[in-house]
Amino acid sequence: MNTALVVGILAGAIMSGTSLLYATLGEIVGERGGIVNLGLEGILLIGAASGFATTAVTSSPYLGVAAAMGAGAAANLIFAYVVVSRHANQLAAGLSLMFFGIGLSALIGRPFVGALITGLPHLAVPGFASGGFATRLLSYDVLVYLALPTAAFTWWLIFRTRWGLGLRTVGESPAIAFAAGLRPQTLQYQALAFAGALSGLAGAHMSLAVTLTWADGMTGGRGFIAIALVIFAKWNPLWAVAGALLFGGAEGLQLQLQAAGADVSPFIMNMVPYLLTLLVLILWGWRRQATAPMALGRNFVGVE
Amino acid sequence: MMHSRMAGVAGAMLLALFAVGPAAAQDKPPLTVGAIYVGSVNDYGYNRSMKDGLEEMKRAIPGLKLIEAENVPETAESERVMEGMIQQGAKLIFATSFGHQQFAFNLAKTHPDVYFEHAGGWMQAPNFGNFFGATQAAWYPMGVAAGKMTKSNTLGFVVGVPIGYALGNVNAFEMGALSVNPAAKTRVVVTGGWSDKAKEAAAANALIDQGADVVTMHVDSPATIIQAAESRNAYSIGFQSIEAKQLAPKYWITGLGFTWGPFMTDTAKSVMAGTFKPAMVRLGLGQGMMAVAPFGPAVPADVKTLVTAAADKVGHGFNPFTGPVTDNTGTVRIPAGETWGGDKMGNFDWYVEGVIGKAK
Repeated sequence: MNTALVVGILAGAIMSGTSLLYATLGEIVGERGGIVNLGLEGILLIGAASGFATTAVTSSPYLGVAAAMGAGAAANLIFAYVVVSRHANQLAAGLSLMFFGIGLSALIGRPFVGALITGLPHLAVPGFASGGFATRLLSYDVLVYLALPTAAFTWWLIFRTRWGLGLRTVGESPAIAFAAGLRPQTLQYQALAFAGALSGLAGAHMSLAVTLTWADGMTGGRGFIAIALVIFAKWNPLWAVAGALLFGGAEGLQLQLQAAGADVSPFIMNMVPYLLTLLVLILWGWRRQATAPMALGRNFVGVE
Repeated sequence: MMHSRMAGVAGAMLLALFAVGPAAAQDKPPLTVGAIYVGSVNDYGYNRSMKDGLEEMKRAIPGLKLIEAENVPETAESERVMEGMIQQGAKLIFATSFGHQQFAFNLAKTHPDVYFEHAGGWMQAPNFGNFFGATQAAWYPMGVAAGKMTKSNTLGFVVGVPIGYALGNVNAFEMGALSVNPAAKTRVVVTGGWSDKAKEAAAANALIDQGADVVTMHVDSPATIIQAAESRNAYSIGFQSIEAKQLAPKYWITGLGFTWGPFMTDTAKSVMAGTFKPAMVRLGLGQGMMAVAPFGPAVPADVKTLVTAAADKVGHGFNPFTGPVTDNTGTVRIPAGETWGGDKMGNFDWYVEGVIGKAK
C-alpha cells in the first residue's frame, strides 16, 4: 500500500460516497414514513439531467443544483400522489417511477449531450490548496462539505423534532398516528418532497461534480445501492454516512488497485462492489426485522 | 446497460416516427442514404466521428438525402429502424455500431437491391460490406506524443472493455512511448463498460493518483476522462473523434480520430454508379480512415515533428507488432521474424513490456 493509493481510495470514497449518501438519506426519510420508493434510481437520473441542463443553459452550477432539487421533489410528489392519495401498490408504483425517470431524464438530457459545462468548483480547505496529496484529500465541491451536516440535520429532523416523531409514528402505525391527531398522509407528502429534493441533489452531484457530462442512464444502478444502504444503515442517517463511504470506497478501491498495478484480474476487480453488497446484506440481514418501520410498504387508507 | 437501452428504444422509436413525416414532393435525390448510430452524435466520440463522415459524404454529393437515427440499440429494434429507412427510399445503409451487424445482415438478405456497410464486422454478401479503421498501429504516434510530454514517465490508459483490439491499442501506445522514452510506463484501468461515466472519472483520477501525468482512453466518449484530467492539470490524448480538443483548453496533447468521409463518399458513388463491391475494408493513418487530431497549446514544435513523423511511418506501412515482442511478464509473444496485423489485432490477451496491468 502506498500513500497515493490510500489517499486516492479515501478521496474516491468521499466523492462517490457523497451522491450515495444524499440518495440514502432521502430514502430513509421516506421509509421512516412507511413509504418504500424503488423509483429512487429514476429520481437520481431526473436530478442529474435537470441539473446538467440548467447548468448548461444558465452557466450556474448552483442554479443547476437548485433545479435538480426542485425536479426531484416534483417527481417524488407525483409518486406521493400515486401511493398516498391513490393507494397504489408501492413496489409497482416505485418501479413505474424508475422507468418514468429513465425516460424523462433522457428527454431532458438529449439536447445537452456533449454540452460543455463548468461544474461545481472545488473549494480547497484553506492552507491545503498548493497541490499534492493534501489538496487531493482536502479539496472538494460544496456538496461534499454539506453532506455530513445534511446527515446530521436529517438525524435531528427524524429523532429530535415533533415532526420527526410524527413521521416515525406514521411509519410504525398510521392508524395510531391518526388516532393521536396526526395527519399521516400530509406527513408522508412532506417526507417524500424532502426525500425527492435530496435524491435530486444526489443526481446533481454526479453530473455537476463527478462526470461533467450527461449520458442516458448515467447513474448506473446507484439508486438501488442506496436502497440497500438504507437497510445497512438501519434507517439511521448517521449510519448511512458509514455505509455511503464504505460503498463509495468499494467502487473506487478496485479502480485504484488496478491503477496501482495489483496482480488481480480486472474481471474480478469489477465484481468487488457487488460482492461487498452481498456480504453486507448477509451479515446484517438478521437485524432487519428489529429496526424496519412496522408499516413499511403498507398504504394507509384512512380510518372509516 | 438496461437503462440506456430502454431510453434508446424509446428515443429510436420517436426518431423513426419523426423521420416518416416529410416525404416526397421534392425532386428525387440521386441517392438516399440511411445511417443508424448507437448513441448520440454529440458525444465527442465514436458516434460524432460517424456523423462527421456522413456529413462530408453529403457535401461531396449534391442532392444526396441522408436519413439518420440516433440512440438505436443493438437489438432487433435496429432492424425495424433500418427497414423504415428502406421504405423511405434508402438504397445505402451505414450500420455504424458493432452490434448492428446481424440485423443489417438480415435486411441485406431480404432487400438485395439495398446496399449495406457495417462498421467493424466481418460478414460479407454481394450487397453487404464492412469497414473500420486500422486503429492499433495508429496508436503508436499517440504513444510517441505521450512519451515525450510526460515528466513522471507514467502514462494512464482507461479501457472500457478489455477486448483484444483495445489491448492492442494500449500495446501500440506503450511501444510508441518507449520508442522515444525508454523509462515510460503505461498504467491501465479497466472500467468494465464502454460508457460508465462515473467510473471513467474515478479511473482517470486513480491513474493520476498513481503518478500518471498523461491520460488517454478507449471508451465510447472521451469527454468525461478528458475533463477529469484537465481539472487535475494532467495532459490528455483523445480517441474516436478528432474534435475533443475543446474539452481540454490547456492540457490537450493530441488525439486519434476516425475520418470516414472519403470511404463513405466513395461507397455512395459506387452505389450510384452500380459498381458496389463488398469488401472487408481496414484502413489506417495515411490511408484515409484515421487522422491525428490538432495539437494542443502545450505541445512544443519538436514533439509535433516527432509525432507527425511517427504517423507518416505508420501510414507508410510500419507495424509496431513486428517480432520479437515480449509481454510484461517476460514471455516472447511475437517471435522474431513474425508480424501481427489485420485479424490478429483482436487476439491480444496480454500487455507488452512496460504496461503495468493484468490483461485477464
